[in-house]
Amino acid sequence: MRISAAEPLLRVKNLHAGYGKVGILFGVDMHIMPGELVTLLGPNGAGKTTLLCAISGLLPWSEGAIDFAGHSLHRKGPRESGALGLVHVVEGHRVFTQSTVSDNLLLAGYDLPRAERMARVAAALDYFPEIAAKRHALAGALSGGQQQMLAVAQGLVRRPRLLMLDEPSAGLSPVLVDRVFGVLAQLRAAGTAVLLVEQLIEKALAVADRLYALAQGRIVLTASADEADLPARLEHAYFGQDANRSLASSSA
Amino acid sequence: MASDRTLPASRIRAAQPSHRLASLAPFLAILVFLALLPLWGNDYRALIGTRAAIYWILVAGLNLIVGFAGQLAIGYVALFAIGAYTASILAAGNLMTEISPALALLAAAAVGAGFGLVVGLPALRLRTFYFAMTTLGFATIVTQIALGWQSVTGGGIGLSGPSLPAPFDSAWGLYGLCVGLAVVATIMSANIAHSRFGRALIATRDAEVAAEANGISKPAVLVCVFLFAGAAAGLAGGLFATLQTYITPDAFTFDLSLLFFISVLIGGRGSILGPLLGTILLTLLPEIAAPLAAWSTFVYAGLLLVIVLAMPGGIAALLDRSNRQPLAANRAIVPNIASLGRLLGTARSAQNLTLSDVVLSFGGLRAIDGLTLSVRPGEVHGLIGPNGSGKTTTLNVISGYYRPQQGRIVLGDTDLPPGQPVGRAALGICRTFQTPRIIGAASVLENVMVGGTLSGRASFVEALLSLPRSHRDEAAIRQTARLALEVVGLGALEDVRADHLQHSELRFLEIARGLMLCPRLLLLDEPAAGLSATEILRLGTLIRAISRAGVAVLLVEHHADLIFEICDQITVLNLGRVLAHGTPAEIRVHKEVVSAYLGG
Amino acid sequence: MLSSILASGLAIGAIYALIGITYNTMFATSRVMSFTAGQLGMLGGVLGSMFILRLGFPLVAGLAATLLCCAAVGVATEFIAVRPVLKSLEQHLYVLSTLAFALLIQQVTAIEWSTEPQPFPRLFGIGSGIWDEKYWLPVVTCAATIGALEYLYRRTLIGRAFRAVAEDNFAARALGLPERNLRVASYALAAVVGGLAGFSGGELMLAFFANGSQLNFYGFIPVALGGLGNNRGALIGGLALGLFQQAANFMVGGIFASVAVFVLFIIVLLAAPQGLFGSTVARRV
Repeated sequence: MRISAAEPLLRVKNLHAGYGKVGILFGVDMHIMPGELVTLLGPNGAGKTTLLCAISGLLPWSEGAIDFAGHSLHRKGPRESGALGLVHVVEGHRVFTQSTVSDNLLLAGYDLPRAERMARVAAALDYFPEIAAKRHALAGALSGGQQQMLAVAQGLVRRPRLLMLDEPSAGLSPVLVDRVFGVLAQLRAAGTAVLLVEQLIEKALAVADRLYALAQGRIVLTASADEADLPARLEHAYFGQDANRSLASSSA
Repeated sequence: MASDRTLPASRIRAAQPSHRLASLAPFLAILVFLALLPLWGNDYRALIGTRAAIYWILVAGLNLIVGFAGQLAIGYVALFAIGAYTASILAAGNLMTEISPALALLAAAAVGAGFGLVVGLPALRLRTFYFAMTTLGFATIVTQIALGWQSVTGGGIGLSGPSLPAPFDSAWGLYGLCVGLAVVATIMSANIAHSRFGRALIATRDAEVAAEANGISKPAVLVCVFLFAGAAAGLAGGLFATLQTYITPDAFTFDLSLLFFISVLIGGRGSILGPLLGTILLTLLPEIAAPLAAWSTFVYAGLLLVIVLAMPGGIAALLDRSNRQPLAANRAIVPNIASLGRLLGTARSAQNLTLSDVVLSFGGLRAIDGLTLSVRPGEVHGLIGPNGSGKTTTLNVISGYYRPQQGRIVLGDTDLPPGQPVGRAALGICRTFQTPRIIGAASVLENVMVGGTLSGRASFVEALLSLPRSHRDEAAIRQTARLALEVVGLGALEDVRADHLQHSELRFLEIARGLMLCPRLLLLDEPAAGLSATEILRLGTLIRAISRAGVAVLLVEHHADLIFEICDQITVLNLGRVLAHGTPAEIRVHKEVVSAYLGG
Repeated sequence: MLSSILASGLAIGAIYALIGITYNTMFATSRVMSFTAGQLGMLGGVLGSMFILRLGFPLVAGLAATLLCCAAVGVATEFIAVRPVLKSLEQHLYVLSTLAFALLIQQVTAIEWSTEPQPFPRLFGIGSGIWDEKYWLPVVTCAATIGALEYLYRRTLIGRAFRAVAEDNFAARALGLPERNLRVASYALAAVVGGLAGFSGGELMLAFFANGSQLNFYGFIPVALGGLGNNRGALIGGLALGLFQQAANFMVGGIFASVAVFVLFIIVLLAAPQGLFGSTVARRV
């Protein structure tokens, strides 16, 4: 873990969240330092998406605490957290298919003065020349990979201090995955913190500083991305939970 | 089917007499009041009393549609008008030779039933607002026809209603007749409400998909109640024409329709007493507070708004004290595996489920891409894989919600017809859902009894009249349901409203409901999601025991430890295809699986 | 005869289309079909008559006051009848809450205004016969409204935001769009459209409280036929309905025209529950 005297940009303490009566997260603790690229790993259903939604305020939560850049995010919606510089790009490249590429980006800068909005859209498009070429096309006409880039670009228009990306590689060809991850590296170099939820463990670890592993709503492993034997430790962390439980000792 | 699944005598709890009396008491009190009314009433009171009784005859039927089936039929005044005009026209002989007033009333009920079906049928295809609009449109049309068809209806001038012979020609005579018929309507609607048909109606309202999975055919039950409610409305209309002695289209305004509709909602959905009180209240309101008369529709609308926003349960929820007490917080689900044998004792012949080369695409995306799979009785078969690998889709194909483009699904030697979820339960296939689909407003026991709908033998008419076969059905279903609750460990909670349960309890409740079918094949969709470690342990034991009783179990799950502990076979899906298949020990060491499942 | 069928059919059809657009505009941001759509049309006529005839406002001030009041009613609808039930999982609640709210509007109008149709002022005094302003005014208003809405949706940021919320509410919230305010704004916008329908059709329909339920039904038909949220479908459906209704009126008389419209409506709806231009059913499981 990086040792630093600085305050963390994001701090999550003992967070419990879920949908209605269904608990998903059971006391999650994590933090992210300014400029750090952290990846959040975990098996399906572990609660990664739920955690991102709780942090960005898309999902209301009641127990625990989330602080971002010195502000409590309790009862703050995505609009307020976004204004503080916490930007969440949701999974599944959910862009507005009936609007053009440039309209999608303009909407990301909804609250900005017009000139500023235009400048930021242009800056965001610089990262992705392949969608800049299609700025007047409907977003629905883009390929899945281009839509994902557009979703990331929407996040960039909002000038995040922390960008949270939920499975940006899903459905992308390896070449495009490398493009997106390349942009992440650029962002970190520019001082933006990134929280990356990923299925592609190796690629994620290659760009990340640090990782958290989530399983069944709890953080089960936290490590620096360059530590040895991580895949085996991850597997152990996912499967080895509650090792004292046994139903049929044969399979344990 | 249930005959040789007996419980020890001590376990059989007949509906406690005191409890039944308590629930009947309000009805008896109203009846006594109505019986005594002639003693201190004048003719005006008789008129109001008769009107309330007539309205209730209609609302008793409408209640099954709005309150139980949840269909927003806001234009029921149309059927009321049709009944009134039918009785009047036939008694007056405007269309054919005149018939006796009593026959005319019966004819009104019959015509009402027919049009009840016509008004109701769109509900099988249209939802909420759309259906509400069609009933509203129908109400407008009926009034227009009454105005326009002058030779028969008298147009705007109207015509005389049927006049009944003595003793029903006096104010109190008609009052007695209407109250008597209202009692009959109450009993009939209560009979339906408390039968498997009533539960089926509520199930289609609150958990439509689960209702289908339990073999409830929404069209079949809806058609029955539309006929019944139409007949009640037609009869009520005929009686109304008798009471008014003269009818014009103006008598059947939309305001009256609102009175009927709002009576049900003020009363509370899924209750008989509530809507009865609602009807009485709304009928009396303008009489008690005369200055309100002009504002009566405004008051009704205001009441409706308040009910919807502040008191969705209506009067019935106010009266229901039993569900106010909080449940013990530290309760535990302790399945009683020992009773499983008695529940599934006469289990059906064991059969393999085989999927061969199933393909299902949504648009261009192949959600299932040539899946072949075999689940054997007595085994737990785990289905795992990353998100979007087609696990739940596979369950949906097996249970008939999706229609695959290719491939066969065979249970034993029966080909499962694609895309017909309703037929699955009869074949012994039952399932649970990722998000438990239960009837929150019904008790735990009633929820489980929904699973026994198919085992009932009595017809709708037998249930309506509460004939012996219907009684036997009810007793058997109730007894089996109690046993099923005991098996999954929820026996102590049978009277609790299901929406008061914890999430984990709902998962076991769904399994109990499924066991009511004596299934050959049990499909479980992430049953462990949201459960605590102890609960998962117990769930695992329960699932294993069910499979060992001869049931084939197909389990979709994310919890790796549960999968590896209880499955006999595991199939790993990725992108709609089988990535690997084998025993837990084989799968654990399968490199590709580990990487696909964990993401690598 | 043909020309008067065309004139009155297009006029009535334009009013229906505008009410259909009112439904659509509210639906787009909230997924709620509101029974208040027709009442807003009714209010456009009643308030117009009240401000201009009873209170003597000049035309422009009367129109502005009418639309302002309608917008207030639209916002009130959102706060009272829509927002509280949006969180609920039970889909049917909005039908009841908006029905109740619509009835409150209608009853207050009936009691405080009049239960009889009241005259609506002649606004410009232009034209006579089939070219009378009462026929072309709704058509012109409908065309202008659709043009203005197209401009709003295609050219302005707030219009794009409306469309974004309509297409994917979750993504719009994640993007930091003020989804709640946009919903309120769309209710105000819808109310203005409904008010315009009633105001421009006032000379044709008069200022009558019962117009509300009529417009509710006949304004819904174009939506049902054209597919929810499809303004183009509502326009085509509305004009077709108006023409069909007026033609049937002339040929078989008003009562059987209503029956014909209703029967046609039911048949089309049962054959294509998603409307003729609508999309397919959502997944259930």
